[in-house]
Amino acid sequence: MKSVRRLARRMLSWASGAGDEQILQAEIDDHIERQTAENIRAGLSPDDARRQALLKFGNVQAVKDSYRDQKGFPAIDALTRDVRYALRRLRMAPAFTASTVLTLALGIGATTSIFSLVDAVLLKSLPVADPATLYRLGRESHCCYLGGFSQKDEWSVVSYDLYKHFRDNTNGFAELAAFQDSTPIYGVRRAGDSTPAQVYPGEFVSGNYFSVFGVGAYAGRVLTQSDDQPNAPPVAVMSYRLWQERYASDPGLIGSVFMLDEKPFTIVGISPAGFFGDTLRNPPPDFFLPLNTEPYLDAEADLRLPFQHWLELIGRVQPGANPQAIEAQMRVNLKQWLQAHWGEMNANDRARFPEQTLYLAPGGAGITSMREQYERWLQILMMASGFVLLVVCANVANLMLVRGLERRRQYSLSRALGAPLSRVLRAPLAESLVLSLIGGLVGLPIAFATTRLIVQLAFPTFPGIGAVPIDASPSMPVLLFAFVVSLATGLVFGLAPAWMAARVDPMEALRGSSRSTSRAGSLSRKSLVVVQTAFSLVLLTTAGLLTASFEQLEHQNFGFEQNGRLVANINPRLAGYRADQLSLLYRRIRESIAVIPGVGSVALSLYAPPVAGWGSGVWADGHPAPSPREDNSSSWNRITPGYLEALAIPVLRGRNISERDTSNSPKVAIVNESFARKFFRDENPLGKRFGPRATMSREFQIVGVVKDARYFTTRGRGQATPAMYFTPEAQADYAQSAGALFLHDIVIAGKPGVTVSPSSVLQAIASVDTNLPVISIRTLREQVATQFTQPQLIARLTSFFGILSLLLAVIGLYGVTAFNAGSRTGEIGVRMALGANRSNIVRLVLKGSFALICCGVVIGLPLTLLASQLLTSQLYGANPYNPAVILAAIMALVLSVLAASLIPAIRASLVTPMNVLRAE
Amino acid sequence: MKESDVRQGTLALMVLKTLDVLGPQHGYGIARRIEQISGDLLTVNQGTLYPVLLKLMQEGSIAAEWGASENNRKARFYRLTRQGRKQLQTETRNWEQTAAIIERFFSAKAQDLE
Repeated sequence: MKSVRRLARRMLSWASGAGDEQILQAEIDDHIERQTAENIRAGLSPDDARRQALLKFGNVQAVKDSYRDQKGFPAIDALTRDVRYALRRLRMAPAFTASTVLTLALGIGATTSIFSLVDAVLLKSLPVADPATLYRLGRESHCCYLGGFSQKDEWSVVSYDLYKHFRDNTNGFAELAAFQDSTPIYGVRRAGDSTPAQVYPGEFVSGNYFSVFGVGAYAGRVLTQSDDQPNAPPVAVMSYRLWQERYASDPGLIGSVFMLDEKPFTIVGISPAGFFGDTLRNPPPDFFLPLNTEPYLDAEADLRLPFQHWLELIGRVQPGANPQAIEAQMRVNLKQWLQAHWGEMNANDRARFPEQTLYLAPGGAGITSMREQYERWLQILMMASGFVLLVVCANVANLMLVRGLERRRQYSLSRALGAPLSRVLRAPLAESLVLSLIGGLVGLPIAFATTRLIVQLAFPTFPGIGAVPIDASPSMPVLLFAFVVSLATGLVFGLAPAWMAARVDPMEALRGSSRSTSRAGSLSRKSLVVVQTAFSLVLLTTAGLLTASFEQLEHQNFGFEQNGRLVANINPRLAGYRADQLSLLYRRIRESIAVIPGVGSVALSLYAPPVAGWGSGVWADGHPAPSPREDNSSSWNRITPGYLEALAIPVLRGRNISERDTSNSPKVAIVNESFARKFFRDENPLGKRFGPRATMSREFQIVGVVKDARYFTTRGRGQATPAMYFTPEAQADYAQSAGALFLHDIVIAGKPGVTVSPSSVLQAIASVDTNLPVISIRTLREQVATQFTQPQLIARLTSFFGILSLLLAVIGLYGVTAFNAGSRTGEIGVRMALGANRSNIVRLVLKGSFALICCGVVIGLPLTLLASQLLTSQLYGANPYNPAVILAAIMALVLSVLAASLIPAIRASLVTPMNVLRAE
Repeated sequence: MKESDVRQGTLALMVLKTLDVLGPQHGYGIARRIEQISGDLLTVNQGTLYPVLLKLMQEGSIAAEWGASENNRKARFYRLTRQGRKQLQTETRNWEQTAAIIERFFSAKAQDLE
């Protein structure tokens, strides 16, 4: 109790401050007065009396110190004193402070910016209740539609039938929800509104989706199990974002009817602000629809097909339940379900039955497709920014060392007078910490601006559609990170001058020599520069490799012509077209566009590059059926005549599809070279037949072979061209899914040298049907380039980091060389007096820097090779040990650094020997 | 325990006792009284009294106020608080107990310790 009271009193007296000092002084004075008076009464002379009184009192200063130590908190007082002193010293050197703070701000800002991205994409949980008890099916995301009864590696998407089976038979889950693995777009307009429909993404979810996540509605209500019944009235939940941005948070919206693809839905509620669903994706869904409305919207009714797997699962486990046990039970359930459908399984599925398995993974972070995609990038960026920060530290440490050198005499004097080591170290350390914290503070706005910029560049948005839900605004973890990094930075670069101060020899002060450039001092400065050079080399090489691989990606031979072509993206389903109306629509669109002056060829297709198309299995007639292990997949595309001409893909053998391929003529297909090689090896594929199912191996007859063109599926980058076949639009294939009838892309090629304007195309389409929404129209080049946005961004960012660190290394070397040359003026003067000419001196100084650079390169090279090794997977097949890039980086480093040290070298050579010798 | 700690502890006790016997005193008065009684313990460093006074103030055993001394000079007077009085009683009891036990040991003969 006593000590608590003492603590409280101490805090009070600390707060009340200096007034107490005066009181003490008055008391001491009074005490001594009285003692003096007493002594005089005892017979001493006034002077002696006073002297005796003082002696008797003892050391006044010691008493005051002891008193002061008991008052307040001496530690905090000392800290405040140090900080104030540091600030004062920094104010006295504005140039140094400004440049150091700026350098630090850049380094800390860059690192914090990358970290906030890491936090948002990799670390943050879903904005839902208690994410720790959520578990999802599947360790990786295998988007988006899979058919059949077997899945490679693991089951991650399920059909509605399988979901129900799991839901009803796995009691480890308190609730198990299912949701669609993609967000298809719908044409949306308010009922009664005559304005044309806008397109927004939507997602089918089970009735218990919101209750699994534990989120309630922002307004109105969320979906419930009763909404997810086969004959329930169709309802939907709208996203907060759309409600706020497009409808100005109009409360009257709730309960109103919206037409999605011309089907009425009642909006029952708004999802909470900040809730973006189960996956961090671009764009996030704007409508949540019950699973059982799927047949209502899509006549194909994936819901009713037990072999069509399109749902992801996420569930909340019972309190205290063991996820491993649940996983085991689900595996058993899976096998049960498969056995129940044994009759529908084909031979391959049956053969693969024993391997079918599944995994549960923690679901608190949502479905990870975005994380997986960007994890590597973010790691690379994090390391690069870490390197930059280290280079920054080295630079600042160098600057601090120079400052420290100026104060060596001060330090040695203090040591000689008996100051303890800790006392002497406190000042430079305090200065470093103050500098780095200020640098961190200044770096925060830089970090936030950078993050925002990066997100905008990396995820270009379409107007009106939601942006990727990455929150780049200040958050606690990010601020904490910035603070910790600033502190760590301050310690790292503050250690050097502090250590220098500690190693000062007190004798130096007494000797009074000012010519003390100890060898030790310049050694640490030199090693810092070497370290900087090494890191810069690594960064430059990394940047060079990434840029090279990106250039390679962008300028590869795609196999089709990119220039002078437009791609318009439409979706006839949104305007309510039925399957039987499509052929006519397509014909009219083609005719309408073909008459625009300057148009060379126009065609419609299911997808235009860079999308490859849909996946399909291939059974070649006359060939043995593919074994379960064999890969018999191919991409396929449906095209109207004119497609290959529009893309300038040459037909190598046989013929193109044309107007004579109609619904009444035999079914034909054209294939690419890879297809012919894969399924027919050396045989002539013309005239051979194949089909998409084992029972339909005579479905199509091959009439032409075209040159390979590079398409990109989500995983096929940098790999061999996949097999591809094309079927004519006119030969509608009802055996394939009916969705394939709705072609999405119009490819328009201008005549050579002519640019077709997008507005004329839009007009032409509008003249066919004003209600047909054109989702986007852009050049083919732009379209192909969209998949390079991220590699381009990464290449640009690392280049920026590389150049930044090069700049810092150059500045560092300049400083060191200038300083060394400056301190060698005596030696230079003597040399010149003895006959050395200017160029000799220049060479002398340059030799020193050259040695440093070489050391840096030698140390940096193995690090560079290591980094290249780690980068390999991100380089799309470019050579990670590309000697040209490494050499270029070394040359750039050497040249710029040499250029930097040229100036001090020349300055040194301009020294007049007489002045120097006189000063000796 | 360091010498100074012991001395600080005993000094505090002496201050309390002095204030108890003499009533409110200023710093000099307390120092003189302690000097008179303790002999040469405090002859050299009277100044060490003041940190002790601060400590006692922080603990709440004594209180300080400004008043006029005998020749009408303004001085800072310290007085014992009720808590201080209680503390004095407790400490006195402790010391007496300790002294008694030690005394017993000193007067014990060899045979008593078998």
